[in-house]
Amino acid sequence: MDYIKSIPTHMDYNGQKLAEQLFQGIILLFAVVGFIWGYVCEQFVQTIYILGAGFVLSCILTLPPWPIYRRSPIQWQKPREEADTETKEVAPAKEKKSSRRKEKTK
Amino acid sequence: MNTVLSRANTIFAFTLSVLAALTFCCFLTTAFDSNIAPFYVETAKHLVKNTYTQHGEKVDRGHITFDLTSDLDPLFSWNTKQLFIYLMVEYKTPQNKLNQVVLWDKIIVRGGKANLDLKNMNLKYPFYDDGNGLKGHENITMTLNWNVVPGAGLLPRIAGDGRHVFTFPNEYSTKRI
Repeated sequence: MDYIKSIPTHMDYNGQKLAEQLFQGIILLFAVVGFIWGYVCEQFVQTIYILGAGFVLSCILTLPPWPIYRRSPIQWQKPREEADTETKEVAPAKEKKSSRRKEKTK
Repeated sequence: MNTVLSRANTIFAFTLSVLAALTFCCFLTTAFDSNIAPFYVETAKHLVKNTYTQHGEKVDRGHITFDLTSDLDPLFSWNTKQLFIYLMVEYKTPQNKLNQVVLWDKIIVRGGKANLDLKNMNLKYPFYDDGNGLKGHENITMTLNWNVVPGAGLLPRIAGDGRHVFTFPNEYSTKRI
């Protein structure tokens, strides 16, 4: 279980943008090539097959969160040392309070 | 785009949109085709009988055979699914300004033999007039028409390039056919 949980499944924001641009480019490229090829050999089904190949390729390239999509992790700020005074003043709902306290105790 | 499923959904939806666009482009490439081809048709054994229809009306029924030659291969483009061709006669009677009767038809699928050379063919559908207009009629025009059934797009009805005019005899035939 620990090994499975240790597999990273995350894509950072730049990675998501890259993945989207990548699959759009691939599918559009295959669509254009397939359209021309289908027109040349007078078989529209060839166009559909080539588009399907583009779909499969872009699935392989962008569905799994490959390491290339994890190159720019978000730089989080460091947690503050002391409990901030704001939460005490506003006094949110009890449940939230308790959960926050638990977090702090951790 | 942050989970595998949302990416799969996006890719699939995008692919379908692209496919729809491609199909529309495919339709556009063939939308302005004329789809007209020449044909040659000849008829023989013109007979007309005075018989009963299945509804018990006594009407004229024509009997003919025909030869048909046409090369329809050029009608098949990458957007053509099949051809529906039909042989139609048009004539005028005192009762009706225009009678149109379909006597024979055929479906030519993609990859089928579209280079027709038919000899001595019988009619597929009976040639009934709705009265007694066939006996001695001198101007019956036979044409070949077709629908080009597309993969995507409109269903045009095309009249082929050609016609054949024939006549029926002045006497009713009593021969068995």
